[in-house]
Amino acid sequence: MSAPDMPAQGRAAGLAPAAPRAIRRLPALGIGRRGVVGALSIVGLLALWWVLTTGTGFVAPYRFPSPAEFRGALDQFVTDGYAGGTLWVQAWHSTRLVLMGFVVAALTGVPLGLLMGVSPRAEALLNPAFLLVRPIPPLAWIPLAIVWLGLGDAAKVLVIWFAAFVPSVINTWTGVRGVDRTLIAAAQVHGAGRWRMLTEVIIPGALPMIFTGLRLSLQASWTTLVAAELVGAFFGLGRVLDAAYRDINPAMIAVAMVVVGILGAATTKLLGEAERRLIPWRS
Amino acid sequence: MKDIHFEGVGKAFRTRSGSDFVALSDVSLTVAEREFVAVVGPSGSGKTTLMRMAAGLDHPTSGQVTVGGKRVTAPGPDRAVVFQQFALFPWKTVRENIAFGLRCQGAPRAKQDEVVARYLRLMNMEGTEDRYPHQLSGGMQQRVAIARSYAIEPDVLLMDEPFGALDAQTRTVMQEELVRLTRREPRTTLFITHAVEEAVYLADRVVVLARDPGRLREIVDVRATREAEGWDGMAIDAVMDLPSFTHLRTHVWRLLRDQIRPDD
Amino acid sequence: MAQLSPLERWGLTLLGTIAFFAIWQGVAASGLVSHNALPTPVDVLSTAWRLSFEPFAGHTLLQHLAASLGRFAMGFGLAALVGVPLGLAMGRWRLLDDIVSPIFEMLRFVAPLAWVPFAALWFGTGIGGPVMVIFAGALPPCLINAYRGAKLVEPRIVEAAQVLGASGPRIMAEVLLPGSLPSIVAGLRVSAGLAWQSLIGAELIVASAGIGYVMVQAQSNLAPSIVMAGMLAVGVIGLALDVALRRMETLVKARWGQA
Repeated sequence: MSAPDMPAQGRAAGLAPAAPRAIRRLPALGIGRRGVVGALSIVGLLALWWVLTTGTGFVAPYRFPSPAEFRGALDQFVTDGYAGGTLWVQAWHSTRLVLMGFVVAALTGVPLGLLMGVSPRAEALLNPAFLLVRPIPPLAWIPLAIVWLGLGDAAKVLVIWFAAFVPSVINTWTGVRGVDRTLIAAAQVHGAGRWRMLTEVIIPGALPMIFTGLRLSLQASWTTLVAAELVGAFFGLGRVLDAAYRDINPAMIAVAMVVVGILGAATTKLLGEAERRLIPWRS
Repeated sequence: MKDIHFEGVGKAFRTRSGSDFVALSDVSLTVAEREFVAVVGPSGSGKTTLMRMAAGLDHPTSGQVTVGGKRVTAPGPDRAVVFQQFALFPWKTVRENIAFGLRCQGAPRAKQDEVVARYLRLMNMEGTEDRYPHQLSGGMQQRVAIARSYAIEPDVLLMDEPFGALDAQTRTVMQEELVRLTRREPRTTLFITHAVEEAVYLADRVVVLARDPGRLREIVDVRATREAEGWDGMAIDAVMDLPSFTHLRTHVWRLLRDQIRPDD
Repeated sequence: MAQLSPLERWGLTLLGTIAFFAIWQGVAASGLVSHNALPTPVDVLSTAWRLSFEPFAGHTLLQHLAASLGRFAMGFGLAALVGVPLGLAMGRWRLLDDIVSPIFEMLRFVAPLAWVPFAALWFGTGIGGPVMVIFAGALPPCLINAYRGAKLVEPRIVEAAQVLGASGPRIMAEVLLPGSLPSIVAGLRVSAGLAWQSLIGAELIVASAGIGYVMVQAQSNLAPSIVMAGMLAVGVIGLALDVALRRMETLVKARWGQA
């Protein structure tokens, strides 16, 4: 992953609106040197890992796995499976739940954010419910969802929906309110009706913020899913983490964490690609 | 074609401290059909407010504004506005921006294409139709904005310091092009500016506003002189060297300077 | 997008608030949903009040909250103490930036809660484990905002300090830190929110005290009114933390300028 993505404040920033792109994206520094140092850094880290666990035995195997143990756990996970399924089964189970919750949240949250941004009446009416519910972190809904729906998939989708819904709504709403007033006036004086105003002025104008919201939603979806599966589940990567912890199998913990990281990165990249295609007018 | 009629128009605000602030007081003014009227005034004289009321984006607190005999209540495509900040849709290409108003009217595709092509030609912008606004220079962007407004063939054109955000050279080029365009397709035009030379060069009449409160100071006729001396056939720098031009410019400038206080 | 009159606006806001509680109360009281699933707002409040004095899961609600806040303070403090200097240093020295960024980038995509098993394995389930999870959740905004802040400090000011003979640590403490303070404080606020949320997550999974532990115990006892009393407490404390840090942010911005 390259440096320009690093200060992606939005990712880490919870509900805070992201900084303008110019600030989030640092000017590309000398890629050649940077790439070399970066690669050396990763190689150095891997070497350190080998030295600490295998070369010297400084870190005990029950604390952190050696590269060979990691490899062994990965092989076992891929071929025999762990905690009720192979790597692909468990990874797909988690990804499917994340995508379901995320898509439902986007399909409900973005329209609601649009409504609240366009209609001051809807905003005044719905804002109190938001102010009351927002301070409760999404993870705090997990026990309630389990009480309501049990340990199966439905409870997971509910909490993911909940975690991903709020950033979608808030950022869409902020985006709509941030649409340049002059553009709205320009559309009016050229005879745009309400529908055209919404589809050709307000939505495109809010689109960058909508995507900021979706990125935060996606991140929240993964965090919530992992937590919910750790609290209690029958399948999924969180279940794998939990089982590996109970079996004191650090190698499998590490494998599951790597898989979670890769899936999180991959889905984020996909969303970024969608953004790049849907917003071609950006310089 | 229509005229614009301001009848005893005033605009007052209640400020946050509770006192009344009068932005405009009792302005009566008629812009005749196909006439180009420029409004100049110091900042705070309410010139932009005047334009916005004609557009229907602001509303007078006393008096009324009529366009073609009909009272203005809301924005409409019979009165196109060119904004200082261009206000192009960043997510639409040049072609889509120019065609926007026509699409709002439900014009057929063939007609849209024809009008877009005509204005691209008139504005010397052929070949840029598929670019996005951020890929154009400021002068080009404002040409697109002007083309977008002309394309809906509005009865009335309202321009709010359209060249205010351009550099001096581009500005001169745009002034010449606007003269070319307006003499060829004259429309009822209200042109807001704070640049005296621009007003005198472009307009049939120059309206000078005073401030505190914003009100009408004097209306200066330019058209008679311009037509007598044939300005339209000359280059802009040649016109600006003419004694008749300098005379008018100085006159307007004095009207404005009288109101400028040391703290400006 | 017409403006609303203040009367209409406040009226609708009041209506929205009343509707929120009325719908909740209505659904809970109607018997449409079993009372065991959805307690009424009044039930939740009275449960919270009762648990403030009566022990549940070993302690009273206030004692659980104290345990949670202690872990929060440690994890958040550690994240700030590590993240801010590291971020500033990365903003100042390109080599360090080049070395740390790729590793940070790699770890960033691992959800903080996925650290729970290792945290518990390495530091136990009492205090150390949850503190490490909080640290993992709270570190990124501290580091990123300090980094951004340091990058935004006018390079000429740094050069001026160098010319005047300031050493590396002195430049960090007296130029970079104050210069990037508004950005850092903004990061700390975001970070506190994530720390609080990670704490709840960690306590849901591994802990023997704390507000998250209360909620997960209530969940196993199928006691939604206690679960919701826990949510209420979590929300109130989270809001209080946010308000306090927002205030600090305003003060710092007023004193040191915009971030």
